[in-house]
Amino acid sequence: MRYVPLIVLGACAVTAPVFATQYLSPEQAQKLMFPEADAFRAQPLTLDTAQMRQVEQLAGLPARSNQWRVVGAYKGGTLLGYMVLDDVIGKFELISYAVGLNPDASVRQVEILAYRESHGGEIRLPAWRKQFAGKSAKSGDLRIGAGINNISGATLSCTHVTDGVRRIAAIAQVALAR
Amino acid sequence: MIRRAQPWLGTLVEISVEDTAGQDAVTRAFAEVARLHGLMSFHDGASDVARINRALPGDVVRVDAATWEVLRLALEIADLSGGAFDVACAPWLVERQVLPSPAPDLAYPAPRMSAAVLALEEQGLVVKRAAGWIDLGGIAKGYIVDAAVAVLEQAGATGGCVNAGGDLRAFGTMQVPVAIRAPGAPGHAARHIMLCDAALATSGSYFSAREHEGAVVSALLDARDGRPLVSSTSVSVQAPRCAVADALTKVVLATGDCTHPALAAFGATAFLIRDP
Repeated sequence: MRYVPLIVLGACAVTAPVFATQYLSPEQAQKLMFPEADAFRAQPLTLDTAQMRQVEQLAGLPARSNQWRVVGAYKGGTLLGYMVLDDVIGKFELISYAVGLNPDASVRQVEILAYRESHGGEIRLPAWRKQFAGKSAKSGDLRIGAGINNISGATLSCTHVTDGVRRIAAIAQVALAR
Repeated sequence: MIRRAQPWLGTLVEISVEDTAGQDAVTRAFAEVARLHGLMSFHDGASDVARINRALPGDVVRVDAATWEVLRLALEIADLSGGAFDVACAPWLVERQVLPSPAPDLAYPAPRMSAAVLALEEQGLVVKRAAGWIDLGGIAKGYIVDAAVAVLEQAGATGGCVNAGGDLRAFGTMQVPVAIRAPGAPGHAARHIMLCDAALATSGSYFSAREHEGAVVSALLDARDGRPLVSSTSVSVQAPRCAVADALTKVVLATGDCTHPALAAFGATAFLIRDP
């Protein structure tokens, strides 16, 4: 009898939330964006106050954070571009995405990494990030496609992602462009 | 299965295909989505739609073959629906601040039927007949889903699904499970259906309804009189093509008629989901 509560907990963890999809791991996204790269290096970026002000002017949006997750893509030591990772929270949705950028800071590609909806419940960013930490779509912890429904319904706007892409393009222009 | 999503058309466009199709096919399909997004955007000043909207009566606008094809279908559905669906409804949406004005320095044109605003000449030419603004928001998503499917099939994909924020099409041999949102509780599925070689589109006002000048407005309206469609009911239409399914949801939502003759004309069927 004492095992029953554990089983119930396990079932809840698997079934909730209803609408969530893991599309790509960051590693898969960087390979798609820079197929010719032979090396990827994490290059975390910290913006100073002046840079944050510039970003806000360029994007017309709050810079939101001074810490950004940036990966440089290289071939034979030559920089091919960058990938910037970010998450945005909408009214109902939390979306992790990656923006691929050319060395001149122009946007090359945007890929959604993961999507999750919450209606009524509060979405907390640290908890969201934790569920994917150390997991990749390939490892089998998160299965792509299997058992995941397509959703048909009224269109949910993705303004937060397009704003996020605009912000990252501005950050790249201010702090990464060559 | 390969499953990717990118932000286009103001929403997320999701492509799922069997592994054998390869990532290149998916990348090519997204490139076509991006191209058509650029042509049919209401917001982008360089789009075909924006050029038509800025054109003066008598002007002839050359547009991409895809835009021309969407307009041809839109005029046909406007005709068959007695104007319940009409792409020339944009002045109402601009007035309610659902869309930005394409010409902020000019007065809003009166909403007219699209057949009075534009005429299609030979392939690729659009004649502006009277002042008016069009918005392809009610049909372009579906058309672009069809176009992405065509690219995937051409690239050899044998089965998959393209979903543009709820307007989707399953193609080839793949059986695609689809969850339809409950209008009163959009985080839950009201119904599950299995889709195979068919398109399904759903319209409802539960995400777009908001207040404007004391009245509730949404991105959906009855194009015959501009009446905002705000209700707790959603309409789903299944059809061979997603462009048709997308546009016909507005016809059924405006008329409340799940047996509207326009449905049969396109081999489509519809069902309503009411908020319990």
